Amino acid sequence: MPVPVSAPASSARLLLVRVEDRPGILQRVTNCVSRRGHQLLSCAVAAGPEEGELRLWLRVHTGMQPPEQAALQLRKLIDVVAVEDLTESGVREWTLGLFEFLAPFARELETELERWGAQVVERTPERLVAALGGPPASLDAARTELAGLGLGDFARGRPIALHPVVPQEA
Amino acid sequence: MSTFPAFRPDHRKQPELEVVPARSGAEVLLSALVGQGVDTVFGIPGGANLPIYRHLPQFPIRHVLVRHEQGAAHMADGYARASGRVGVCIATSGPGALNLVTGLATAHFDSVPVVALTGQVASPTIGTDAFQESDVIGSCLSVTKHSYQLRDPGEIEEVVAEAFHVARTGRPGAVLIDIPKDVQQAHLGDDRPLRRIRRHAAPAPAPEQQIEAAAGYLSGARRLVILAGRGVAIAGAQEALLKLALKLDAPVGTTLLGTGVFPNPHPLGLGLVGFMGTGYCNRAVTDCDLLLMVGMRADDRVTCRLDGFAPRAEHIIHVNIDPAELGKTVAADCPIVGDARDVLERLAAQAEPGSRPEWREQVDDWRRQHPLRHPRNGRLQPQEVLRAYYARRRPADITVADVGLNQMWAATGWSGGESGLFLNSGGQGTMGFALPAAIGAQAAAPGSRVFAICGEGGLVMTVQELATAVEAGLPVKVLILNNRQLGMVRQFQDDFYGGVRSQVDHTVTPDFPTLAQAFGCYGEAVDELAEVGPALDRAIAHPGPAVLEFRIDPEAGIFPIVPLGGTLSEFVECPYP
Repeated sequence: MPVPVSAPASSARLLLVRVEDRPGILQRVTNCVSRRGHQLLSCAVAAGPEEGELRLWLRVHTGMQPPEQAALQLRKLIDVVAVEDLTESGVREWTLGLFEFLAPFARELETELERWGAQVVERTPERLVAALGGPPASLDAARTELAGLGLGDFARGRPIALHPVVPQEA
Repeated sequence: MSTFPAFRPDHRKQPELEVVPARSGAEVLLSALVGQGVDTVFGIPGGANLPIYRHLPQFPIRHVLVRHEQGAAHMADGYARASGRVGVCIATSGPGALNLVTGLATAHFDSVPVVALTGQVASPTIGTDAFQESDVIGSCLSVTKHSYQLRDPGEIEEVVAEAFHVARTGRPGAVLIDIPKDVQQAHLGDDRPLRRIRRHAAPAPAPEQQIEAAAGYLSGARRLVILAGRGVAIAGAQEALLKLALKLDAPVGTTLLGTGVFPNPHPLGLGLVGFMGTGYCNRAVTDCDLLLMVGMRADDRVTCRLDGFAPRAEHIIHVNIDPAELGKTVAADCPIVGDARDVLERLAAQAEPGSRPEWREQVDDWRRQHPLRHPRNGRLQPQEVLRAYYARRRPADITVADVGLNQMWAATGWSGGESGLFLNSGGQGTMGFALPAAIGAQAAAPGSRVFAICGEGGLVMTVQELATAVEAGLPVKVLILNNRQLGMVRQFQDDFYGGVRSQVDHTVTPDFPTLAQAFGCYGEAVDELAEVGPALDRAIAHPGPAVLEFRIDPEAGIFPIVPLGGTLSEFVECPYP
């Protein structure tokens, strides 16, 4: 079930950043975050709403700086189109998890994967990989329960959330 | 018998033998600079920018050949601060480009529009650790407003136009354009349509309701203080500031970078605020019920301990063109994003005229209680030298301070009536700034007299640029306040680090008059107060660059000073009578 964005600490923010897809843009954005004394906890990247743009979801620990500074400083970058702080927006964040199971497979594995709504994306005699989309907390819960069924590797993407990001009026 | 070839072709005399593209990337670049109004650049040629220098003589651009790239960046900075135009510096790749970094940081932190052009190794060799390759884009990310690495010669005009636009729009800053050698050499067609450049939007005028609210607060204040920073100079808002202060009967203090934006002496002038600010200014800020901060950042050197900054203020109005500066350190209940001149003029139009005799009397009491003082021990005092200098200051003169005690003495003592240009490195505090920045300022303002006030420690960091001044015919006057030590560090060690003087004494310093003469400058040393004025007059009268060494009291310090971790009101005054 989707859950609202919630900061693990009061100074953790989830920022959605629209940027121009130009060489070095990730370096500029991450440099800006660290230069201002913030800690970049995670970054997810996807195509932007307009051609030639990207969307970045940054989870940032703002540390001792005022929380709004992260967004304010990012807005100053020339290649940044707009920044939205989603932390208290109530939007739902989603992520993708990949679960790897190694043979021999447990009898109830497929039933359990079906119960979680996971989709088998790769199957060989030695290995089965299932994909599950959902809120981060839900994927963590699935990981805990599936651990007893021969779970090998597990990878979870960084959270993303759909929300309009509109440039501020100059 | 010589082993050298008997004949060396002189290519400079045979341009017709060279196969030169009709319109190379370098020519397009130089043409674009001319199109941006560039008349002067500061730089050094090297392997990766030679195509630019090959064509530079064809364009109406004055090139000032510096002796170190850091000097080029500071000169571009000084040129920009003195003229309000974009300053331009050029370096080659690798060490040349990296030598610009300190100068770009200095300019960027003080919101100075500078465009740096760096040569880069040819595109196919980028990333191969080629000779004199450096990642100057990565190195400059945090000290520039934006940067470009050109990969397509077709982008040159757009990138130059956009870079200048970015450098001077909104809050000004430094912009870097890194140009691989093959891009400089590439051939371009003549009839290429100019693509649209991206526009970096300047903030819109502040909303009327914010101005109305601020004007209401100002009109109702009983103990009002205005603090002004460099944003006032950038916006050309000196007159608007004076007009508002007079209308509101409001005392005005300035930040280090704001020095010069308000006349001094003036009945409303409070001088410098902050860590080494005047006692009366710091007390006024501490006791005010309304603080208007305009065109300033409110960094730690201004506020000192934050809980002691304007603790009795019922309202704080903070005006800055950069939204990120509002609330960064000081929480203002009336933040206004806007150009200082626009906001000050609108506030002056809306605020009720006021008279605050009790507050003014209180401020004048503090002025009498906490005058700027210095020892009188028979040794030459820096304040005495500066008093003689400022007595000779004309409104069009440009004063450039270096960093350290000399800077603080020059700022606290800034005088001479009308507002005027006082340039210094406030954000980065870059020692060695003054001489090259003064040279740049002189290039921008040939009709002005330009003075660099230095300590001996800072001057020797960039002293080689005296050669540049002589060669370029830029008659800057360098006033060295020589205390034969790193004076501010020494004072910090004395006051805050247990009195342990560690590595601050310059037991060897150059014979500055001789050094100056070796570079082709006028040089003179002064030990006695009686000789200060005549020496200044001789240096001013000299048609070329001049260096005056004032051998000052080595124990001279800066007072008042707020102890580290203290509040504005906890300043310590000069302990000597």
